[in-house]
Amino acid sequence: MLNQSLVIARKEIVDGLRDVRSVIASLFYALMGPLVVGLVSMAHPGGTKPGSSVAVLVGMMSVFTLVAAFVGGMNVAMDMVAGERERRSLLPLLLNPVRRGSVVLGKWLAVSLFAVAGLVVNLSGFALVFATAGLPVKVAWPGLLLVMAFGLFPLPLFATSTQLLISTVSRGVKEAQTWLSLIVFLPMGIGMLLVFFPAARQVWCGFLPVVGQQLQLELLMNGGKVQLLQPIALGCATVTLALLVLLIAANRLQRDEIIHGN
Amino acid sequence: MIKVLELGKSFAGRPAVRHLSFEAPDGAITGLLGSNGAGKTTTLRMICGVLQPDSGSITIDAGNDPLGRRRRVGALLDHTGIYSRLTVRENLVYFGRLRGMPPKLLMERVDQVLSILGLESIASRRMAGFSQGERMKTALGRAILHSPQNLLLDEPTNGLDVPTVRSLRDLLRRLRDSGTCVVFSSHVLDEVRALCDKVVVISSGSLIAQGSPTELCAKAGTASFEDAFIRLTCQPENCSC
Repeated sequence: MLNQSLVIARKEIVDGLRDVRSVIASLFYALMGPLVVGLVSMAHPGGTKPGSSVAVLVGMMSVFTLVAAFVGGMNVAMDMVAGERERRSLLPLLLNPVRRGSVVLGKWLAVSLFAVAGLVVNLSGFALVFATAGLPVKVAWPGLLLVMAFGLFPLPLFATSTQLLISTVSRGVKEAQTWLSLIVFLPMGIGMLLVFFPAARQVWCGFLPVVGQQLQLELLMNGGKVQLLQPIALGCATVTLALLVLLIAANRLQRDEIIHGN
Repeated sequence: MIKVLELGKSFAGRPAVRHLSFEAPDGAITGLLGSNGAGKTTTLRMICGVLQPDSGSITIDAGNDPLGRRRRVGALLDHTGIYSRLTVRENLVYFGRLRGMPPKLLMERVDQVLSILGLESIASRRMAGFSQGERMKTALGRAILHSPQNLLLDEPTNGLDVPTVRSLRDLLRRLRDSGTCVVFSSHVLDEVRALCDKVVVISSGSLIAQGSPTELCAKAGTASFEDAFIRLTCQPENCSC
C-alpha cells in the first residue's frame, strides 16, 4: 500500500514541478510576506519603535507565515483530484489495483511537500529580511527550532489534507478554486482576530491548529520563552486532525459520484 | 473469463442496469452493443470494480472482489485520461509501477507496447498537444501493458484514423488468439460484426439478446446486422429510440 502511495507521490511531484505557472504563483505567495515587510522597513528605516508601522508588520509576520503554509500546495492540491476529474484522468487511475486510501495518501504526501517547501521559502525570506533590515526581533533559537519542528511544520500537513478534501468534493478546478481561495481566509482571519482582539486568546486556543501556531509564533517574535510541551501537543493535535480529514477525503473518493459524476 | 450474474445498478433511483447476465469467455471477443444510455459503460465500470453494483455478482477468473478484479483486467474506459505533462513513456511507466510490475519486465513491456502501437518516435515527448489518436493509442498501451488476461475497451476506435483502427483490430484478434478475454463496447455495427465472436445486446440496462452476429440476424429474421440490431432493440418493451 505504501509503495503504491510513493509511486503516486513521485508522479505528482514531477507533474507539479512541470506546472511552471503554478510553481511561480506558489513562490510568489510564499515570498509575499517577506517582500511586504522588507519594503516597508526600507521605506521607514527609523520606524522600529514599539507601535510603529514596522513593528506592527513584524507582528503580522505570523499571519503571512500561516498563509504561506496554506497556499504553498494549494494549486497542486486543486489540480490533483478536481483537476484529474475534470481532465478525466481520475478514472484510469482508479482502474488500477490501488486502494483509494493509497491514492489519497500518495497525493497528500506530494502536495504536503509543496506546502512545506512554501513554508520554508517564507521563513527563509523572513530570516533574510530580519537579518538585513535590522528589525527589532529577538528570537531565542531553541524555542524557534521547537516551534518550527513540532508546531509549525505540521500545519501545512493539515492545510493540504483540507485542500485535498475540498478538491475531492469539487467537480472541477473552478469549483475547487472558489472554495480553496476562501480557505486561505482561515489563517488570515484568525491571525487578524488575534492581532486586533487580544481578548480572544484563551489557553485552550493554543492547542488548536492555526490559532496555536499563530500564538506560538507571536510568543517567539516577542522574545517569550516557549514551553516544551506546548508545541509538541499542538503538533500532535494538528497531525491528528490532518489524518482525520484525510480519512474523510479517502471515504469521499469511494463514492459513485466520483466516477459517475463525470 | 468474465461472468456477470443478475447485475443491477441505479443512480438516484433511476435504474441504469437491470438483471443483466452474460458470460465473456477466454479466447473470444465479446461485444457489448446498445444505444446511447443503454448501460454499456456502467456495466464495464462495474466489471472493472470502480463502481459497486447494487445487486448481482461479477466473477473474473474465479475472483470477485473489486481489487482482485482490477488486478485481472486491463481497461480503457470512456476517455483516455492521460497526463499531458508526462511523456508517453512516463505515462506507461507510471501505470506499470502502480501495478507493481518488476522494473526490468516493465521496461521491456513498455518498449514492446510502444513498438506494437507505433509510438516509438514520440515516446519521449510530453503529451500536451497530442492528437486524439495518439492519446487513444497511449491509453490503449496503458491497458495492455501488464498483459492482462481480460481486456475491457469502451469504444476504443473513437478518434482513430483508418490505419490505426485496422491495426487495433489486428491487435485484438492476436490477443484473442493468444487466449485473452476481450470485451468491448461500440456503436459501430460493422466493427462489431467484423470483430466479435459473441455479441451481447443491451437496451435500457437489460439484456435483449446474445449470440454470434449470425445467430442474432437469424433470431431477428433479418439479413443485415444493422436491421437485426434495430429490430431487437426497438421491440415495444425494449425500445430506447
